[in-house]
Amino acid sequence: MFALTRRPDTRKAPDRKASGRESAGSPVSRLGKGVKVRGILEIEGELVVSGQVFGQIAALKVTITPDGFVEGDIVAREVVIGGKLEGRVYAPTVLVEITAQVAGKLFHHTIEVMRGARVDGRTPWRPLNFFENLDHLPEA
Amino acid sequence: MAIFKSNDPKPEPAKPAATPAPVPESPRPVATAQPLSPVTPPARTGVPMASVISKALKITGQLESTEDIQIDGEIDGDVRGVGVKIGSNAKVKGTVYGDEVELAGTIDGKIEAKKVILNGTARMTGDVVHQDIKIESGAFIDGHLKPEFGKSGAKPASVTSTPRQLQSVPTGT
Repeated sequence: MFALTRRPDTRKAPDRKASGRESAGSPVSRLGKGVKVRGILEIEGELVVSGQVFGQIAALKVTITPDGFVEGDIVAREVVIGGKLEGRVYAPTVLVEITAQVAGKLFHHTIEVMRGARVDGRTPWRPLNFFENLDHLPEA
Repeated sequence: MAIFKSNDPKPEPAKPAATPAPVPESPRPVATAQPLSPVTPPARTGVPMASVISKALKITGQLESTEDIQIDGEIDGDVRGVGVKIGSNAKVKGTVYGDEVELAGTIDGKIEAKKVILNGTARMTGDVVHQDIKIESGAFIDGHLKPEFGKSGAKPASVTSTPRQLQSVPTGT
């Protein structure tokens, strides 16, 4: 029991520290609670969504907070889902937190789904080449 | 009655038997509670900060906000906000609506706001509809500045001016 609980903790701690360092260096874009975006979002950095996004997101890292909602496709190196997501995710690293509500497909190489998260859909595994060579999204 | 009496004392010994049972179970709820704490830190970082659209972000589409936004990136589309700050490296192609718009970057389109501030580095191509405007020296404006003091004030002025012209025409001939 204890061993199981400790392992994810040790994994999470360095991840968050690393993300904090990244945010200090590269610009972080935040969409607050009251923000609603329709369209395509492209960012060479990190995006934190606490508002609503209807459309496509392309970023290095995407974090959906428990208040956030995304309808559409996300392409990133790392995706952390803490809120609502309807659509597809293409990311080598995917973390689904306990507050997440996901409906759709999560294309991943490494995935972590926390106990309590609602995942309705598929989580297909893909080799790393798949993400590196991802020029355009395959249609549903 | 004897049956009921016999039943009553039974739960009492059963209770102490039941209480030790949850004790070994207690580690399980603790284990499930632990993931809760790591979820809150991203919420803490996300909530207090106002919305920021950083340098590296490009949005193609509409942006709506009920709170203040800082734009340092590139937006190809309309922006609707309350307080909108457009940074010196930002580019917006489209109309910016808001209560207060502060521009230090580039807009190719239109501004419609109650209060408009054009900084020295501002580059505005298009019309500005405002109630209150401040322009610093160095700002580039290619377009019209249209003051709009509410529609109720503007209409009576145009109504009174037209009948005067009509009256003056017949007297002149």
